[in-house]
Amino acid sequence: MKTIKDEQTPESEELKRRRRSGGGWRLIKTLFKSCSGSKTKPLERSDSMKGLFKSKPRTPADVVRQTRELLVFIDLNSNVSSTKRDEKMAELSKNIREMKSILYGNGDAEPVAEACCQLTQEFFKDKTFRLLIVCLPKLSLETRKDATQVVANLQRQQVQSRLIASDYLEANKDLLDILVLGYEDMDIALFYGSMLRECIRHQSIARYVLESDHMKKFFDYIQLPNFDIASDASATFKELMTRHKATVADFLTKNYDWFFPEFNQRLLSSTNYITRRQAIKLLGDILLDRSNSVVMMRYVSSKDNLMILMNLLRESSKNIQMEAFHVFKLFVANRNKPPEIITILVTNKSKILRLLDGFKLDKEDPQFEADKEQVITEISSL
Amino acid sequence: MADEEKKPPFPLDPKSYKLLNEIGTGVSAVVYKATCLPRNSMTVAIKSIDLERSRANLDEIRQEAKAMALLSHPNILRAHCSFIVDRHLWVVMPFMAAGSLHSILSSSFPDGLPEQSIAIALKEILHALLYLHGQGHIHRDIKSGNILVDSDGSVKLADFGVSASIYEMQQSSSSGLLRMSAAQASFCNEMAGTPYWMAPEVIHSHTGYGVKADIWSFGITALELAHGHPPLSHLPLSKSLMMRITNRLRFEDAHVKCNKDPNKKKKFSKAFKDMVALCLAQDPAKRPSADKLLKHPFFKNCKSSEYLIKNVLQVLPKAEERFKETRTDENQSEINNIVERDNAGNLPPLVKNRRVSGWNFNVDGLELVPVFPENINLDVEKEEDEDINTENSKHPSEEEKEKEEKVMHPSSVLKQMLVPSLVALFASLDLQRGMVFNVLEGCEHVGGESTEEKTGEETERQLEEYVRNLERIVEELNLNLQEEMKRNAYLEELLEKLKRNSEPQGNNSN
Repeated sequence: MKTIKDEQTPESEELKRRRRSGGGWRLIKTLFKSCSGSKTKPLERSDSMKGLFKSKPRTPADVVRQTRELLVFIDLNSNVSSTKRDEKMAELSKNIREMKSILYGNGDAEPVAEACCQLTQEFFKDKTFRLLIVCLPKLSLETRKDATQVVANLQRQQVQSRLIASDYLEANKDLLDILVLGYEDMDIALFYGSMLRECIRHQSIARYVLESDHMKKFFDYIQLPNFDIASDASATFKELMTRHKATVADFLTKNYDWFFPEFNQRLLSSTNYITRRQAIKLLGDILLDRSNSVVMMRYVSSKDNLMILMNLLRESSKNIQMEAFHVFKLFVANRNKPPEIITILVTNKSKILRLLDGFKLDKEDPQFEADKEQVITEISSL
Repeated sequence: MADEEKKPPFPLDPKSYKLLNEIGTGVSAVVYKATCLPRNSMTVAIKSIDLERSRANLDEIRQEAKAMALLSHPNILRAHCSFIVDRHLWVVMPFMAAGSLHSILSSSFPDGLPEQSIAIALKEILHALLYLHGQGHIHRDIKSGNILVDSDGSVKLADFGVSASIYEMQQSSSSGLLRMSAAQASFCNEMAGTPYWMAPEVIHSHTGYGVKADIWSFGITALELAHGHPPLSHLPLSKSLMMRITNRLRFEDAHVKCNKDPNKKKKFSKAFKDMVALCLAQDPAKRPSADKLLKHPFFKNCKSSEYLIKNVLQVLPKAEERFKETRTDENQSEINNIVERDNAGNLPPLVKNRRVSGWNFNVDGLELVPVFPENINLDVEKEEDEDINTENSKHPSEEEKEKEEKVMHPSSVLKQMLVPSLVALFASLDLQRGMVFNVLEGCEHVGGESTEEKTGEETERQLEEYVRNLERIVEELNLNLQEEMKRNAYLEELLEKLKRNSEPQGNNSN
């Protein structure tokens, strides 16, 4: 941004005039013109930029087509380091930024529905999405960010009331494999992660990821030492486990046997505080969701699960205790408690009651107090 | 990113860093000066955020980490890396030797910096804002405390604790919308920031606020640098917030009471005053963008960072020494949140309520040894000897901690009481505003700007009347507020008394 600014200065008067006379779209174009205003600019590029100011500007589809051509070039010439490649790269960055401006609007200018529609259609017509994902590691930081935002936005664009992004991804599911594995590469993890989260907004795509072998990898990704990446992976994991209710319920039913032991062992019993805290919160979200009631019944009938929860209940972290309570109460509320669950609760009755008695929140929460009362009553009567 | 690639990445374990000393504290974070051992003991700053105490939820912290990882600009402090250490998040950052402008002010320039130095620092911050806003980010907490200076005179904007991304926002808040725009999305609705620097629309945010809130705070920061403290900071916080909603802030407001001698009053250039006035327009739309501000005459002929080094940095004591001095002046509530540390910088475990010694799972005799995960097993062993029935007698250390908590109590009670009433007050203000706007709309008959011009005078008269009404209401609310505060003070006193009475008897103070 700063470099654009610096180059603007000599022609700031003209800029002012333009700005006064026109709204956002014209402003964008001015911005692009000033971008190309460097002294070393090649002739061909200045010509193409001049085109912007003719009565017929490039259409959104033109921008996508040009982006695609540039991506093809970058993809094929990855190892050549030449001035030509640098030029193409700069032009690519500009095109991606222009796509972003069309999709998100710019400054005061709202995006135009028709333009967005055209852009979306062209984008998913050919392999632009694939190329963009594959070439992302070669782009500059700023362009990576722009590309990520473009991809995010495109997932929600409808063409004739269809989400064509979803159709495209269904036909190109291997792209999701690339995105998930991005968590293993520090340089691109955050960008692929953001894109992935947008892609799993589509139910069929989320189902694909859930049913893939990648699910097991998330247990590692969540605990990566790099906090930015680990927390991005947990955000994606949470999205997968909570967004599409029916799909999640189906997944959990089919995969109960490996998923929950893994969840208990790797996440709830992790030595990492943040992993435990996030996992217990997510477990509560999953089990308290009505659509997962069958899975919940199964979970709260297991003695092993209860033991893990009771240990979390006596952690020194208030946040973990609190979340653990929300799951623990389900074990107690279960009307058909298996005998072994009852035995544990009865044996530890006095301890549990004492713990609950001293269990206070910083903020007043009538719902919590009511739940606590219920649990206390239930346990006392055992 | 490019220059980082040549060197090995910053290590992600605490053993690779040696903490030297504290250079700053916040409510739930401490900043250390440290060295990174595998990198030739290069000096770094490490912000250690206590995740258990931090009010921010983990999503917010994730946003901050992500923002800091992805922003790349010479005037923005970018994190080297971040990782979890116990219950803390360590954010490793470049060490800015001269510290924050706030600490520079309070140690060496209590009455403000010279104007030329202000121009240099502010210009750098404008570059940072231009970049941030272009990226769709709102910083939301611009103030001198978040502007850091290095020994080479470079100036960086720091602390993205409350910053928001307008692109991220729309994901969570308007997931129903399929087509969003930057213009629509660049409004946030939560209240964030540090009160004295907050823009009016942030305080009574019912319309949401955008990047222009940063421009307001930038203006306040300019005043802060000119006078040594933000305007209206001599007033209690609640009143300061009120004043901002009802009045225009003027350049001199920062000066009230700080200089009793009128002859000593500082002189500032017209350009400076004009620049600040532009930033402090009540209507966010009238405030200039960062881009426009950079073209303001005040920033023309701006000196280089050399000037900053010669005139400001060279007269300063070292950052860590300044920290030691100012630390004692910090207000009590912050001090209360600092907990003594051991040498490794670890916090002692927080004991909020008595813990239950290990559960008894092997009741049915089927398992002789309960299957505890290892780390918990350790805990259990430590506490095994604790007898459950006689636990009414407390450990001496626990008693101490309870006392500590009690000392903190009155202020937190006060906060609990004051905050909801303030919030209610603002809500009612908003309500009134809404009503007035409704009436105004009814009066105007036809919308559109052209009619507004024709009946301009008439509407203006009406407006004035409503404004007067509003002011009366605000006055009333203000009185209410003061009463509320008096009551709170009384309650606090009562609490204090109760505490004193209960101390000799024991611990029950209900």
